[in-house]
Amino acid sequence: MSWLDSIGPLHGWAIATAVVVSACCAIVGTPLVVRRMSLLGDAISHAVLPGLVVAVLLGAQPGGIGVLVGATAAAMVTVWFTRFLYRQAGLWEDASVGVSFTTLFAAGVLLVTISGSRVDLDPGCVLYGILELVPFDTVDLYGWDIPRAFLSASFVLLLVSCGMWCTWRWQLFTAFDCDAAKAAGVPTVAVTVGLLVGVSLATVAGFVAVGAILVVAMLVVPAAAAERLVHRLHHAVWLAVMIAVVGAIGGYLLAWRFGTSAAGMMAVVLGVEYVIAILVAPDDGVVARLVSKLVYLWRVQCEDRLASFWRAEESGYARHESTVGGLVDRWLRVNGQVQKQENALVLTPQGRVNAEVIVRSHRLWETWLGRHVDLPVDHLHPPAEWIEHHLGEQVRKRIENELGNEDVDPHGSVIPREKR
Amino acid sequence: MIHLAFVMAFLPYNTLVVASGVAAVGCAAGVIGTFGVLRKRALVGDAAAHATLVGVALALLVTGQRNLAVLLVGGLVSAMVAIVLLVLIRKFTRTRDDAATAIVLSVSFGLGITLISGMVSRGIPGSGGLERFLLGHTASLTANDALLLGTVSVVGVLCIVVGLKEATMVAFDPDFAAASGWPAATLDLVLIALIAVMVVVGLPAAGAVLVTALVVIPPAVARQWTERLIPMLVIAGLVGFLSALSGVVISSLAVQVPTGPVVVLVATAFLVLSIFGAPCRGILWRTRAVSSLSSEFLTKTEVGVATPTGTERRP
Repeated sequence: MSWLDSIGPLHGWAIATAVVVSACCAIVGTPLVVRRMSLLGDAISHAVLPGLVVAVLLGAQPGGIGVLVGATAAAMVTVWFTRFLYRQAGLWEDASVGVSFTTLFAAGVLLVTISGSRVDLDPGCVLYGILELVPFDTVDLYGWDIPRAFLSASFVLLLVSCGMWCTWRWQLFTAFDCDAAKAAGVPTVAVTVGLLVGVSLATVAGFVAVGAILVVAMLVVPAAAAERLVHRLHHAVWLAVMIAVVGAIGGYLLAWRFGTSAAGMMAVVLGVEYVIAILVAPDDGVVARLVSKLVYLWRVQCEDRLASFWRAEESGYARHESTVGGLVDRWLRVNGQVQKQENALVLTPQGRVNAEVIVRSHRLWETWLGRHVDLPVDHLHPPAEWIEHHLGEQVRKRIENELGNEDVDPHGSVIPREKR
Repeated sequence: MIHLAFVMAFLPYNTLVVASGVAAVGCAAGVIGTFGVLRKRALVGDAAAHATLVGVALALLVTGQRNLAVLLVGGLVSAMVAIVLLVLIRKFTRTRDDAATAIVLSVSFGLGITLISGMVSRGIPGSGGLERFLLGHTASLTANDALLLGTVSVVGVLCIVVGLKEATMVAFDPDFAAASGWPAATLDLVLIALIAVMVVVGLPAAGAVLVTALVVIPPAVARQWTERLIPMLVIAGLVGFLSALSGVVISSLAVQVPTGPVVVLVATAFLVLSIFGAPCRGILWRTRAVSSLSSEFLTKTEVGVATPTGTERRP
């Protein structure tokens, strides 16, 4: 990795800023995604622009407190405007989000272009940030030259994590059941407004680094990925922060390697991480579904094989390993279900018990079907062949009780007794 | 409007052609967007719009020519890919719909930015102007480009006119349409594809970031004025037409102003006026109706105030 050696302290500052910003966004983004408010995050990230520009025009220092206040105010205006369109103008929910963020963003872009040189922003930087230039705008802090964007992002990180820490129980309760939280006396409106203020602070911090639209990626993508991988909300927050940090560092290095936009590459890396997350997600990921299907197929194979040993014993000849052989037999031997005797495989006592359960399920079901469903005898086998892998002890007992003391199935074979 | 016509009479020929082309786009986007909004697909269009950048950049990279038609075809392909991805995420993962939209939107935009900025830094010819697709810049359009945009728009509106009954069925009740034997899924797909086409031809006018406003705001305005579909389509088309036209004219007078923001703000001005002033649904109208109603019936009682529209409003 020779290209990595030449990375200097300036890049270090840029990466540090990106890491802090994405941590901020991931912390507030997780409750946002869980509460189905991702699109409000999208709207806020577009809408902080006019607030930012107006604050700068009024004389606030870029990266200072005034800008944070202005942008937060603009975010609140967006939320209000969206609610106004939804409630008062009777617009559809998604359409009101679409109207409010395009309007505020358009106003912001127009302000930027009209005010020209008085605001140190260009429309391009509004859209995808100037992370590469962050290290050059520094503040002298006790003899250290620290980038302004890094300082303000760290301040926001402190604010956001303290706020989350203090109101965590309320956030959790509101996120999962807003009505119940309200009934229990949680100030849900204040909690929601607090969350949205956090989102707008994180957005402003991210604005300089990655621009308006890619902030959305930082807010939503790590949270959505983390939410697929773990179930507890506080685990999801930690995981989202980790995913975001990996995305920030990986994205910056890749962008530097290929000479392209750092902010864009970060969004791409986050997207790749999300795809990985939905592939390996433990409950509904593609890999998990595949594995559980394979495990099921394997169990069916093993049980069918075991039952066929039992039937072979019943009809009086021993199976030879060479007939089917292969992995299934080897697995059954390793598990102690079958053993080798004089060059042939026979069931162990344990294996016999298991095999009897399967054959018993099969024949009980055939008998039950034969009695209750009007099917010809040669149609009873296929459903039983499938259901024998799924009947539990309770169901077997109920069928047994219902059948009385029937011990021969419709084909005339004896139903083996269960050893309990 | 007279002022607008007056200003237009003094515009150069090229600007006039471009203005008419873009106005046609605005009109078609309003008409087709009405169905998108009724079908609650407003933000699917937004995700598609952000994804167009990838296709535009790749089209330039692959063909090497900066022909608007080629770039827009690339944009259309990537917009459709984004829509397919969105559907796949919604169907096969438990990620919520809104998060899925935000993910597709932001990641595809990031990919587009990465491609464009990588191409710019490698000095690929023509890549410098791609940033115009971010916010829209009609000043760089030629008369031929405008003709292309106008033709596509007219074809789009014709599609809607021909398939008005089908589109209405799918927009209002897709389940009923399917149950009555219509190919509802295919029609739905055609409708989404039409929205994607409108988003793509809207790119030169409004840019990837703001083009969704062209398909959302005019229907929202029209909704304030009427409860019926055909008048809504006409009003949405008209509002789209006027916003796009005035956007182009204003931004052609002030060169450095990108077109997209102007178009959006004009459309929003229409919306705000309608929300307050439209008959029946307008806020002023409702307030007057409520006050006259309450002075007639409710002055002596202290029960509360009912609004004629039944909307929840606290006194």
